Amino acid sequence: MTFAELLTPAEVERLHEASLDVLESVGILAHHPGAREVLGRHGCVVDGDTGLVKFPSDVVERYRKMVPPRFTFRGRDPRFDRTVPDDGPTVVTGSSAPNVIDPVTGVERRATSTDIARIAYLVNELPGFDVFSISTLAADAPEGQFSLSRFYPALKNCLKPVRSNTPTMADLHGVLELGELIVGGRDAYRERPIINHHYCPMVSPLTMDVDSTEAVMWLTEQGLPVYTTVVPNAGLTAPMTLPGCLVVGNAEFLAITVLQQMVREATPVIYAGLPTVADMRTGAYTPGAIETGLLIAAQAQLARFYGVPAGGYIGLTNAHANDAQAGFETGMNTMLAVEAGATLLNMGGLLGSLMAFDFGKCVTDNEIALMDKRAWRGLEFGEDELALDEIAAVGPGGSYMGRDHTKKRMRTAAFLPRLAERGTRSQWEDAGRPQLQDRALAEARRILAAPNPAVWDGALDARIREHFPGIVDGDATSPEALA
Amino acid sequence: MGDDGIFEELKQSVIDQDEEKVLATVDKALAAGVDARKVIDDGLLPGLDVIGEQFECEEIFLPELMQAALAFQSAMAVLEPKIRESGGEGPKKGRIVLGTVKGDLHSIGKNILRLLFETSGYEVWDLGIDVDLFKFIDKAKEVDADIIAMSALLTTTLIGQKDVIDALGEQGLRDKYRVMVGGGATTEEWAQKIGADGWAPSAYEAVTLAARLVGAQAGSAA
Repeated sequence: MTFAELLTPAEVERLHEASLDVLESVGILAHHPGAREVLGRHGCVVDGDTGLVKFPSDVVERYRKMVPPRFTFRGRDPRFDRTVPDDGPTVVTGSSAPNVIDPVTGVERRATSTDIARIAYLVNELPGFDVFSISTLAADAPEGQFSLSRFYPALKNCLKPVRSNTPTMADLHGVLELGELIVGGRDAYRERPIINHHYCPMVSPLTMDVDSTEAVMWLTEQGLPVYTTVVPNAGLTAPMTLPGCLVVGNAEFLAITVLQQMVREATPVIYAGLPTVADMRTGAYTPGAIETGLLIAAQAQLARFYGVPAGGYIGLTNAHANDAQAGFETGMNTMLAVEAGATLLNMGGLLGSLMAFDFGKCVTDNEIALMDKRAWRGLEFGEDELALDEIAAVGPGGSYMGRDHTKKRMRTAAFLPRLAERGTRSQWEDAGRPQLQDRALAEARRILAAPNPAVWDGALDARIREHFPGIVDGDATSPEALA
Repeated sequence: MGDDGIFEELKQSVIDQDEEKVLATVDKALAAGVDARKVIDDGLLPGLDVIGEQFECEEIFLPELMQAALAFQSAMAVLEPKIRESGGEGPKKGRIVLGTVKGDLHSIGKNILRLLFETSGYEVWDLGIDVDLFKFIDKAKEVDADIIAMSALLTTTLIGQKDVIDALGEQGLRDKYRVMVGGGATTEEWAQKIGADGWAPSAYEAVTLAARLVGAQAGSAA
């Protein structure tokens, strides 16, 4: 497949050079003393008073070239391991929303660990999703178990790779203890680290934070899987132009990437972004705007220039219901990203600019993800696919309907949607004029009504519960059972 | 030029979002012997009122609102010392301690809010970003604040807002301050859940909220 390119090769090089200039002349404000120390020791110029770090171009060039070309997500079941970019579009849920739209009442409320368990199960069953980035927070988390209350229900109910962040080092260590218990010890965990870590240590413009930076450096040193996302917001934290926004985001990507390579050479990374252009009428945050798709497409080109996998939060929406806006924002933006060669798509299930998870939106995004994956397959051009013998056999005026050739390919040539309406108007009216959200929620309920086969055995669960007294149940109770 | 002319000129300079013109017109007014208080009340503030109306109907955008507010703030830096000299300092609308909660380094929304608070006549102590819960409370005690205003952009740092409210309760200080919360990660429901006194979806609306909270406080004390 040839990727869509919004930038000429000369423009890509110019963005790279411009980013090098920014890193060398403007610099990065690094708040974490440990990061300043590492950067200084490897050739950056650190101002100890201000925390400003300048990156000489040759230093950036030396370290960014160490990055390997792929990143692997591992799950409880190795069949679900995914590597970007080799495995094509790898679809991840959107993450860390504080709220959920209740699947029974339709009212937005604080999300709980039970919601996380249900979402984990749903994501496990929906074929469009490859990685479960823990969609919400857990308002019912016991004191001191903020992250455990998210990772435990997520891992318990999902065999696919689980991804999320932790706010403190204590939380990070707790979560890793959980991972080690699941796979059977520290050594086994190092062989198969099933928790995939993600942080946003770069705060635009051009600033490196403390807590996330510390976590990224520690995980990098340990050789555990971690990647970061850059989040420039044109008009507020980046210039009010798309190229200017790209320069800020690219300088930030290079800064954190270089730091990671300094900590440990050949550490896998992803060029992940959530670039936006603010709505300057009010300053509103607009991750669903079409400019995010354009910027992610450009970042995918930059990532190819650097030889690293590309993608990020793409396909989010500002809509507060799973309506036409939610659909066109997710659909148009993910399509731009996929056509431009981005293979990491953080897109599933969230409404209202990452504020609330909706079960219907999640099932809808599964369908959009499957369409994106079909688009990635492209035309599958080949001599066989030209079907010249078949055209001759059917001849003018014939029909392809009853042919073996058709029967052999009818389940694979086209993506067959479960939600999209394909019937006649009268059929639709007879069915009570179901809206897309009705069909999506019915599908979510159908999946959640059955017991989850992904749940681990009772003995392991008992060990975990003994190790973490007071931990949440983590069971994907059917929503109806609670209603 | 009569008084009306200079006030109209002051007003227009704010509407034009032209800091240089605002400052030059303020100088001209002061040189002509216009009272500093009147420069603000009859010239600059009517200009800000127009800016507010234009912003609400999307005739102007946020950067234009901010530029007008920044021009006003520069003028205040000249005018406030004059008012103090003449002993005519008017009462501030309220005292606000402001900051982004622990673990969160996002400052842009908070900074817009500080500017709007200041141009609306509040005294603001901006504690910056990554603010520890005790810093909020200690500063509020120190300056006898009316309002503690906390921002959080990250959903994982939100809890810092609750921590401050809980700590205020533990110290028996909860009723002493009005607490308002905001920022990208917050919702009205969250604000209610943690027992905040108010929430606003934008900096502009937060100023209206502050006025209501301070008014409510004065009312309850009366």
